[in-house]
Amino acid sequence: MAFDAIFQPIQIGNLTIRNRVVSTAHAEVHATDGGMTTDRYVKYYEEKAKGGCGLCICGGSSVVSIDSPQGWWSSVNLATDRIIPHFQNLADAVHKHGGKIMIQITHMGRRSRWDGFDWSTLVSPSGIREPVHRSTCKTIEEEDIWRIIGDFAQAARRAKAGGLDGVELSAVHQHLIDQFWSPRVNKREDQWGGSFENRMRFGMEVLKAVRAEVGDDFVVGMRICGDEFHPDGLSHEDMKQIAAYYDATGQVDFFGVIGSGCDTHDTLANVIPNMAYPPEPFLHLAAGIKEVVKAPVIHAQNIKDPNQAERILEGGYVDLVGMTRAHIADPHLIAKIKMGQVDQIKQCVGANYCIDRQYQGLDVLCIQNAATSREYMGLPHIIEPSEGPTRTVVVVGGGPGGMEAARVAAERGHAVTLFEAADSLGGQITTASKAPQRDQIAGITRWYQLELARLGVDQRLGTRADEATILDLRPDIVVLATGGHPFLEQHPEWGYSENPEESLVVSTWDILNGRVEPGKNVLIYDAICEFSGMSAADYLADKGAKVEIVTDDIKPGAAVGGTTFPTYYRSLYQKEVIMTSDLMLHRVYREGDALVAVLENEYTGTQEERVVDQVVVENGVRPDEALYYALKPRSRNRGQVDLEALYAIQPQPCLSEEGEGPLLFRLGDCSAPRNTHAAIYDALRLCKDF
Amino acid sequence: MLDTLLPILIAAALALAVIGAGRRVRLWRQGRPARVSLLKGLAAMPRRYLVDLHHVVARDKAMSNTHVATAGGFVAAAVLMILVHGLGLGAEVAEGALGWLLLAASATMFVGSCFVARRRRHPPSRLSRGPWMRLPKSLMAFSLSVFAITLPTVGLLPEDFGSWMLALALLAVLVWGLGEMFFGMTWGGPMKHAFAGALHLAFHRRAERFSTRTGGSGRSTGLKALDLEDPKAPLGVEKPADFTWNQLLGFDACVQCGRCEAACPAFAAGQPLNPKKLIQDMVVGMAGGSDAAYAGSPYPGKPVGEHQGHAQGPIVAREGKALVDAETLWSCTTCRACVEECPMMIEHVDAIVDMRRFLTLEHGNTPNKGPEVLDNLIATDNPGGFDPGARMHWAADLELPLMADLQQVDVLLWMGDGAYDMRNQRTLRALVKVLRAAGVDFAVLGNEERDSGDVARRLGDEATFQSLAQRNIATLAKYRFLQIVTCDPHSFHVLGNEYGELGGHYRVHHHSTFIAELHEEGRLAFRPWKGGRVTYHDPCYLGRYNGEFEAPRNVLRALGIEVAEMERSGFRSRCCGGGGGAPITDIPGKQRIPDMRMGDVRETGAELVAVGCPQCTAMLEGVVDSAAEVRDIAELVADALVEPPAGHAKGPARTARPLAEEVVS
Repeated sequence: MAFDAIFQPIQIGNLTIRNRVVSTAHAEVHATDGGMTTDRYVKYYEEKAKGGCGLCICGGSSVVSIDSPQGWWSSVNLATDRIIPHFQNLADAVHKHGGKIMIQITHMGRRSRWDGFDWSTLVSPSGIREPVHRSTCKTIEEEDIWRIIGDFAQAARRAKAGGLDGVELSAVHQHLIDQFWSPRVNKREDQWGGSFENRMRFGMEVLKAVRAEVGDDFVVGMRICGDEFHPDGLSHEDMKQIAAYYDATGQVDFFGVIGSGCDTHDTLANVIPNMAYPPEPFLHLAAGIKEVVKAPVIHAQNIKDPNQAERILEGGYVDLVGMTRAHIADPHLIAKIKMGQVDQIKQCVGANYCIDRQYQGLDVLCIQNAATSREYMGLPHIIEPSEGPTRTVVVVGGGPGGMEAARVAAERGHAVTLFEAADSLGGQITTASKAPQRDQIAGITRWYQLELARLGVDQRLGTRADEATILDLRPDIVVLATGGHPFLEQHPEWGYSENPEESLVVSTWDILNGRVEPGKNVLIYDAICEFSGMSAADYLADKGAKVEIVTDDIKPGAAVGGTTFPTYYRSLYQKEVIMTSDLMLHRVYREGDALVAVLENEYTGTQEERVVDQVVVENGVRPDEALYYALKPRSRNRGQVDLEALYAIQPQPCLSEEGEGPLLFRLGDCSAPRNTHAAIYDALRLCKDF
Repeated sequence: MLDTLLPILIAAALALAVIGAGRRVRLWRQGRPARVSLLKGLAAMPRRYLVDLHHVVARDKAMSNTHVATAGGFVAAAVLMILVHGLGLGAEVAEGALGWLLLAASATMFVGSCFVARRRRHPPSRLSRGPWMRLPKSLMAFSLSVFAITLPTVGLLPEDFGSWMLALALLAVLVWGLGEMFFGMTWGGPMKHAFAGALHLAFHRRAERFSTRTGGSGRSTGLKALDLEDPKAPLGVEKPADFTWNQLLGFDACVQCGRCEAACPAFAAGQPLNPKKLIQDMVVGMAGGSDAAYAGSPYPGKPVGEHQGHAQGPIVAREGKALVDAETLWSCTTCRACVEECPMMIEHVDAIVDMRRFLTLEHGNTPNKGPEVLDNLIATDNPGGFDPGARMHWAADLELPLMADLQQVDVLLWMGDGAYDMRNQRTLRALVKVLRAAGVDFAVLGNEERDSGDVARRLGDEATFQSLAQRNIATLAKYRFLQIVTCDPHSFHVLGNEYGELGGHYRVHHHSTFIAELHEEGRLAFRPWKGGRVTYHDPCYLGRYNGEFEAPRNVLRALGIEVAEMERSGFRSRCCGGGGGAPITDIPGKQRIPDMRMGDVRETGAELVAVGCPQCTAMLEGVVDSAAEVRDIAELVADALVEPPAGHAKGPARTARPLAEEVVS
């Protein structure tokens, strides 16, 4: 029996969990209308339960009190009885498939924003400002403390009344309970601060009140940090002492352990380790906690692969593994293990598109799985074969949009030919994976390679399709996902030429793909501030170049998400890359062997020059439209997508109409430059009805 | 001259036949005693021959008719010849009618012989050659010469027709005929089959196989238990003399027709087994000698003439060669295709397991993974060596009722060791869903269940089998249930057919049978089948072992599936290769049995092959580049479930339980 450690049930309190895999608490950002769980919310968790996940802990940072705002992240609001019937729907949906579901409950204290909704006065043990959310707060009063303790108990009652299987008290991520714990934030000298027992008091009173309210036959767990990684914060030894202290009450049914605090940008990046991190980087912290507690320990952080999970469980480091992003990427992970389809699992690559959206208050989505959290719209994780005619589908372009289009069309049962000009699939993903610490993004392509091979898609690699080759195949449908090229021709002053001998600037793609040798003294001008510029800077610095990255935006990497720019910054600062903002690239000219870049301050117009041997420009993507316009007049639908149908996840009306010539659609960057998710989403919603 | 010589010749032939018979009987009596009722058996013999054996023979119409003419003609001619020419009753009785009858009988036999001769002109490879090639000539010699010597008797030719030369020639031919037909029959020629076969039918070790006037033939497929208490009883069969005397007799009945060879999956896969050769080797062993004279297909990869033995010598040598190599015995999947095909009702599988018992229990020489599996069974009560406490992990989220809690239910769901197998867990979960949809009152033994002992028994470890069986029987004895339902035909067979001898008597149903009943009672309703073409693979232990061919097909029909049958289906279904511990002993061949079976599936053009056995599922799913998806019947049913029409549901009303259908397909 393979994976026996994963499939060994476990008892938590009175609850039997069918396996050792947990989707741990994260903010979904789709509880709406004052924090009530929606159909979308229910379907999102139902899909995980259907896919075999043992335990889902939903509702990261679900609030218990009126002064812990829920609106910023559309989190669940347990401060009102209105939530109870919503929980009943949620519990039924998960239980129906044999899963268990709990909710994380918390008061976020100072870790929120006050400048909206109720314009709440945030509270914290000593009124110290929180830097990540730039939030100020008042020093909490005794009355607030007891009110909030009571709110925790009421929230737990509501979870129980709604049929959920338990609650997880959040004492992690610098929420109110661990704000009391941490001497970094708690400077009080009354009974709520100072000594160990005093700092523990608030959490202990919460635990006692909750347990008194829900009794023994309801699971109450606690999520804690394994080490705050701040010199003035809680160390691993402190956390072991805290865990043992609470465990000794016998009232905690499980501990979830997360490595790292998160009240700075740098530590926040640890909490949801992106692809720059090794596998399970903080497992040792969870294992350290497990050494000192009797209750089962859950640990989630960069556990993405079933074999990895099995190894961790077999080693006995922890009792349950959180595979949360792994389930966002593929909610059928467990079912696929059971079906012997481990190779078909869409594995999380740590791009952190999900969490970086969440920190912007946007709904959690997966970079590579457009169906996740769109189950309620009818977007399928498993594509059913078409009952209609078998069509000949030609997809041009093997980037994410083209690969998804080919996959979905092939799952529908059509005969699919995929053209890719390069020698391998991946498109811009391949380029992105060339940078230091970014190689794992190629996992997106790896999955498609396996799936397209499994589905028997005719892959014509190294083949640039033209009008004739496409029409020779007598396609019923042509999907163009030809992408674009670096947009260097926008400003003639930059001196870009198609002839590499003459061009004064090169693109980040040229650098990352190794088409040009890295210079020794390089200026990168990054008008976009997303991944490419940062990756090129990291790549060049890694090759030994002196690098300055300049942007006219507010800072280099400004558009990179909150859990990823810190890993770039760590690398770039370490390699002494200079990061300069507010300068536009005005002009580049050659002077002898050197290149001179003329930069102009956006706010003063002052010009300054850099003498370098290489100028790299990142100015986004320009769509390659030639093939589209060549095919458009030959197509039955003149290349048009019916937007109403597309956005309503309905079949394109032209699919059921008769006529001459193939249907033509384009998606991804060859239409307008967007991102990986956009291309995959368009491909999925367009092709799922082919 | 003939008048004088014929009675002498016939008397001599009969005397020689008696001498031959004495020798043959002595050979058989080397075997161990067996409890058989001699008189009852002899009395039952004609019916066994004319009904049960003929039923098998008649599967080949042409050969059946040939045999009726030849054998019927011979028996009649032989009796009449003794009367007319031996006792000289030709002219006196019934106005010479006996002579005319004798003419007719010998003529009929001659016509039959011509067909035998035609068959022998280009014999299929499964037929043995050697002495069998002269048999049609011998038959003709006998029938023609008897016909000729009878012509004067009825007056068609003058008494003194021809010269003495002609008479001598005729007598010479008759001597040849008589020698083959009378002396050869008992001494050991091709005609031995008639003598040994008749007695074999009379003294068959499985009398219950045969029909009686009151009912059809019963199946008798359970292995017979070893008496482990008796210190004198050998642990299995080491040497030919360790077989019971009627087993030895049974081997002698073989006509070397090779129907077993044609049906044997191991032979077809190029593994070193040919059931016909094995039986012939037992015949060689019983009389002593080498297999050099054997004139049929050898064990694949094993030349003839290198093996020898005798009644008191080992069949399998510890080192080197004896009568049979161990790997021949371990190649068998115990699929019973040979037994099912054998027109002489020989029990090949019994013999093979008898010999395996000795190798495992006395030599401790089970090949490949065998010892590991047996050790696992001894240590953990399951062949995989899994934690006995993990038996219910597959159902952690199903809240299955336990017998220990309920004590009494309608249906005890026997999980089998597939409970540890991720693939079979899907079947089990589907079955639970179906039982719940039909409102069946059921429970499982949970961690009290142990492996049924099937694999241990087929691998020859009778001690472990009996230990498991006795403990299962003791557990089952604690509870009350109307029937056992299982999705594992091996458990089904062992519980239903082999526990009885150890004191456990149960009504056991395969899940397909039970689901078919539920559907007939209107307790299940299905949405119509929308998939592609489907074929059905009969598991050996369900079909040939237990005669259940229809229920699975009825269920598939109820699902709206029209089964595209494989050429080899029903009682002729080809084994998947998974039975008898064959995947464990893993004797190499030229190809894999499941690959061949998937080839059969491919020929039907089916996209899906429905199965009803965890072993078959595992073997067929293990085929690389498989043509078809493999789904258990329970899975197909669970997928198709819709609410049954109101008012049709029988059985106690139950509250809806949560159904876990975590596997998405």
